[in-house]
Amino acid sequence: MKLKSYLKLFKISNIDFSKKIGISNVSLSRYITGERLPEKSILNKIFKLTEGLVDANDFFLSNSPSHDLSEIHKEEIKKMIFNIREGKLKDLAKAITLVESSLKLHNAQADLLLSKLKHNKKSLRIGITGVPGVGKSTFIETFGMSLIDLGYKVAVLAIDPSSKRTGGSILGDKTRMMKLSVNKNAFIRPSPSQGNLGGVAKRTSESIRCLEEAGFNIIFVETMGVGQAETTVYDMVDIFLVLLLPSGGDELQGIKKGIIEMADVIIINKADGNLKNTAEITMSEYKNAQNMISNIRVDISPEVFLCSSTESTGIKKIWNFIKKFEKVRRDSGSFYKTRVQQQTKAIWRNISLQSQDHIEYKLKSKDSIKKIIKDVEKNNFDVNNASRIIFDSIFKSNS
Amino acid sequence: MDRKKSYKGWEEKASKELHDKSLEDHFWETPEGIKVKPLYTEEDLEKINHEIGLPGLPPYTRGPRATMYTNRPWTIRQYAGFSTAEESNKFYKEGLKNGVMGLSVAFDLATHRGYDSDHPRVLADVGNAGVAIDSIEDMNLLFDGIPLDQMSVSMTMNGAVIPVLASFIASGEEQGCPREKLTGTIQNDILKEFMVRNTFIFPPKPSMRIVADIIEYTSKKMPRFNSISISGYHMQEAGANQVQELAYTLADGKEYIKSALERGLNIDEFAPRLSFFWSIGMNFFMEIAKMRAARYMWSKIVKEFKPKNDRSLALRTHCQTSGVSLVEQDAYNNIVRTTIEAMAAVMGGTQSLHTNSFDEALALPTKFSARIARNTQLIISEETGICNVIDPLAGSYYVESLTSSIVEESQKLINEIDEVGGMVKAIEIGIPKMRIEESSAKRQARVDSNEETIVGVNKYKPTEKQEINILSIDNEEVRKRQISRLHELKKTRNSKNVESFIEKIKNAASSNGNLLEICIEASKNRCTVGEMTLAMESVFGRHNLSTKTISGVYKNTVKNDGKIDIIDNELSKFLNKKGRRPRMLVVKMGQDGHDRGAKLIATAFSDLGFDVDIGPLFQTPEEAAKQAIENDAHVIGVSTLAAGHKTLVPLLMESLKNNEASYIKVICGGVIPPDDYPFLYDLGVSKVFGPGTNIQEAAIEIINLL
Repeated sequence: MKLKSYLKLFKISNIDFSKKIGISNVSLSRYITGERLPEKSILNKIFKLTEGLVDANDFFLSNSPSHDLSEIHKEEIKKMIFNIREGKLKDLAKAITLVESSLKLHNAQADLLLSKLKHNKKSLRIGITGVPGVGKSTFIETFGMSLIDLGYKVAVLAIDPSSKRTGGSILGDKTRMMKLSVNKNAFIRPSPSQGNLGGVAKRTSESIRCLEEAGFNIIFVETMGVGQAETTVYDMVDIFLVLLLPSGGDELQGIKKGIIEMADVIIINKADGNLKNTAEITMSEYKNAQNMISNIRVDISPEVFLCSSTESTGIKKIWNFIKKFEKVRRDSGSFYKTRVQQQTKAIWRNISLQSQDHIEYKLKSKDSIKKIIKDVEKNNFDVNNASRIIFDSIFKSNS
Repeated sequence: MDRKKSYKGWEEKASKELHDKSLEDHFWETPEGIKVKPLYTEEDLEKINHEIGLPGLPPYTRGPRATMYTNRPWTIRQYAGFSTAEESNKFYKEGLKNGVMGLSVAFDLATHRGYDSDHPRVLADVGNAGVAIDSIEDMNLLFDGIPLDQMSVSMTMNGAVIPVLASFIASGEEQGCPREKLTGTIQNDILKEFMVRNTFIFPPKPSMRIVADIIEYTSKKMPRFNSISISGYHMQEAGANQVQELAYTLADGKEYIKSALERGLNIDEFAPRLSFFWSIGMNFFMEIAKMRAARYMWSKIVKEFKPKNDRSLALRTHCQTSGVSLVEQDAYNNIVRTTIEAMAAVMGGTQSLHTNSFDEALALPTKFSARIARNTQLIISEETGICNVIDPLAGSYYVESLTSSIVEESQKLINEIDEVGGMVKAIEIGIPKMRIEESSAKRQARVDSNEETIVGVNKYKPTEKQEINILSIDNEEVRKRQISRLHELKKTRNSKNVESFIEKIKNAASSNGNLLEICIEASKNRCTVGEMTLAMESVFGRHNLSTKTISGVYKNTVKNDGKIDIIDNELSKFLNKKGRRPRMLVVKMGQDGHDRGAKLIATAFSDLGFDVDIGPLFQTPEEAAKQAIENDAHVIGVSTLAAGHKTLVPLLMESLKNNEASYIKVICGGVIPPDDYPFLYDLGVSKVFGPGTNIQEAAIEIINLL
């Protein structure tokens, strides 16, 4: 990073820093403005003192332009934030598009936007998962409408799988949320997964923050319970609901065992008509099994409920439990603590995501790297050496 | 021995004519998966597994009546979709003067869905695709001067079937025709609504109970009236192939029999009054074979329920030429298509027939096009001599083999439905819907890649556009007139009576009372269609459909002739420029439930690489705008078939503007008269696509538009 940004971030005065390196304040200012370039020995000192955050490249290479937004682009974001706070759905929708975009410019705009958002401590983020056909959307429709009746503003982020082959997707969630989708206190945004789970996680947690800024205080995040998206969703919500069908065990449900172990609430859905009995049997099976599952939350145990979204039964009990869950965890402080931990996790997740992108789109396309790999393939070069050289090169490239 | 030798001789001769190509290359696999050989012989006739028999005798393969057309030709029955009772009445009288023998009523979308014309959700639907009926007063106007004891009336009604049939019966009695003398048919086929047409009101269970109410009532009180018309028509329109159409329709029939038996009726009380309704498309011999196979199979199915009367085993059917086979391009060709289809219906032994007008891919028929359609039937009936011989194709090596193959293939599908526990269950799971949508996507892919020819569309395209005069309807004017008539009715009627009947309907709905019986009295007391529906709805609830979609079928079927590469290339350019794929919201606004087009577009575009949002059925323009804004779609694709575009699209544009979202582009597709294109472009619509549009070409145009 640039020396100027470093000093600002760590709140170090120019005078203090110049003293530490042993140069005059004037010289330091010239280095910072770029009027003059530091010598090798000074560069070494700066490198050591900043733990490598500021290195020679930061003086010799100009930054990639994408990090700097033009005034027009900044202005757009300012206006967007203002409108989001005013409750304009159009701007909220556009903000989510920026967050989801693969363009550098949009990402930089999204970063600026997110940096200006407040941290909302009052909202409740609810993760919902279950296999296709379990009735997630219908559940959210019924549940969401009852929350709106209670005065809440409800948002739904639905993650739909994209086809790997064509990259396109069909997003039909709203056809199953007819009342909620037209309610003015609800906002539903289905998003294609674009085949990249890490990416989904980053985008979704950022979208949550946009929704909260717009005043939505209940946020549902809906995923299909068949892939690995759930573990990442788990790390961005306050409470995790797993919907099951009234039949048999995990294998029959087609849901991964690991996902059930994460559940704070297990809901046996579609407990209506002639499935009522089966649903009750399923419930007692899970209640018993639940005792054996190691509990992730220390302060409250998961519970199992029966529900019929079409007959609107069970919803009230579920909501009461969620309220209790929230209260217990807010009182103990673990509610907010988990959110803090989730942020830390997000940092490392973003870094590994960016590294992956860097490897895919930058490294692999470099001619020098291609040559090294060719050599390895021809047995002219060994794997360990090749890996080390490529790895080292990551840290030398600043773009 | 001799026969085999001579067949070998033919093979040799044929192979010689084919030079290096093998005979196998000339086998044709139909969309139904039936392998058709280039030549059928006596030997094939020995392999058939159905019984041919004689006309008028079980198993009725050759026809339900012994004399068929030699005694009386089929009934020419033209379906008419005029928007008001007065206009329809005029059309009927005109038709009766010109050889039409039965009336057929098309209702507007608001009536289908049980809304009175003043309901806020039906702004664009009143008078569209048919006549608006709000009460018995409208029925009285509709049949003014038409003697109902002599004229058979067919009514296409499924959703609001109770209040509409009740108003009809009540109107007949006010005219002086007692209910037992009424003849005709009510469609009353709710299962296919859940499958393809979506013009339902209540959830499946109460809907089936209503069907049984009607079967029960008519079988006891209206002996000359067909209680149900079990329809495959709309399945084929939605993209089903002929085997699917046949199998699912027969399976529906089986389900209706079961529910009537559960009601305590005797099979012979109602089975003779069950009737069928087929679509007749361009696959000439297949359609004939389908109709013959249907009669054979139905007799076998009914036999399982042990009827004593042979008449219970006979399948009687109405046919309509296929609407989906009509195209906008080179529209006069549609006259020829309809003629061929009508021939197939007649050769297949239909009891009544509707021939489509050539302009129906563009708009509702004009007087002129309706006359040609009518004359098509009169010419076949009176100029060709076809009527002089019963079931003329019986014994044909090919037709009998095909009949046999269809019996076999359909039976497989029926077995699949039986295995899950009948049609209601299968519909809940979504089996038939999914199969039909697959078949529809495959067909579109074949047409788009020129594997299936449509003259004037993907081959022999006309160089000049012809002008065709079409009928346009002022929907707003119709609505105003209906509303003022409703006000008049509500002012003059006895409101205490009305209230007490509404309560009675509610009671009957929550107990076991016959809803039709009560609603006939309610109609006489001037309860409206909307009020009667609402009373039932308060007990049954209104059904919402969860839309399921398929993916991959289009892409797997379509042949890549270079267009796919162009699309991929355009898409990756788009992605690099905009940071995401083009996102399109496909909407159906208003009360029109035909979602074949919308679903086809959704699945094909997502297969091509778009992100496609789908809106719920029956959206209002405001709701569609909200969804597009929230999802931040680049473009809204409006699918319209029922002339609602003239009211709905302006409202959509306005709603986008009010929300500062005019950056979202709007395109329209479906049955839109070319005369309306300028109107839509003036509103700011970016592009209008007519029927028969090549989806890949449309995709390229849309990407460029964005």
